[in-house]
Amino acid sequence: MTPLVDVAFLLLTFFMLTTQFKPMEEVTIILPSSHSAYKLPESDVMTVNIAQDGRIFMGLDSQHLRSRLFGKENELKASVQIDKSQLANYLVQARTMNPKLRTVIKGDRDADYGTVEDVMDILQKTQITRFNLVTDLARTVE
Amino acid sequence: MAGGDVAAPKQHGKKGKKRKKGRRLGVRIDFTPLVDVAFLLLTFFMFTTTMSRPQTMEINLPPNKEQKVEVGESNLLTLRVSDKGDIFWSVGLDAPKRIAAADLRAILREKVQTNPKLVVVLKIDRMGKYNTMVNFIDEFGVTRVERFSLAPLLENDKVLMAKAQS
Repeated sequence: MTPLVDVAFLLLTFFMLTTQFKPMEEVTIILPSSHSAYKLPESDVMTVNIAQDGRIFMGLDSQHLRSRLFGKENELKASVQIDKSQLANYLVQARTMNPKLRTVIKGDRDADYGTVEDVMDILQKTQITRFNLVTDLARTVE
Repeated sequence: MAGGDVAAPKQHGKKGKKRKKGRRLGVRIDFTPLVDVAFLLLTFFMFTTTMSRPQTMEINLPPNKEQKVEVGESNLLTLRVSDKGDIFWSVGLDAPKRIAAADLRAILREKVQTNPKLVVVLKIDRMGKYNTMVNFIDEFGVTRVERFSLAPLLENDKVLMAKAQS
């Protein structure tokens, strides 16, 4: 019995320490799939979510930054809906607060390309020329 | 069940020195509830944990839009995608030809192998799907197209596509 309990506690501590609770999503986004093998960075991530209906949400992984940027009431939200015209403003502000932020676009697979094009345009205008697109790993093998 | 297992200290006949030792040895605690809770928490954390981080693909844009890159006409492969997802390809200023999505990879492979300096321009209709763009960029990655650019699909591109369609 004792070895069993030992192992159980070992696993328990492992999972307790490694777990990261999945943040509550404001919108459900079905990701497109790709063969790319880059992993999403673990910290300092700024996410631009594009919902299927073209709404844009901006999210930051640090709670501290979120409360500074979006106000106290949005501190616990993973992402906040933002108007397209305001996006550039918020991106610049977030980058001045934390220059290490990496930008990530998380678009729904059925979102209109036009919206994505506009977002990429805004990113380019705000000098964010390097960003990542979040995808699911395609299961098919070439 | 739990309560009954806590054994009372054994009574020793003798009194004196040995008594302290005996009492300590006699206490047996039932660990079953503790283990129950441990396993409960273990399963909870096992189910809630997200082990894998999502995949990403990296995109680099040129720093400023005004900067013009001169590309020879023969090195330029244009892919136009209509709002319905039909793909048309053309080299240089040739008339676009329609191809099926399944044949795209073969064409890209062939073009890249014959001309390593090839630059691909991807023009997707604004009404198209984001998924289309990701598929194309993924396809470029698979076929080792290192230089590609995204450009807006203009009205004259639509005219060209309509011509090729008929």
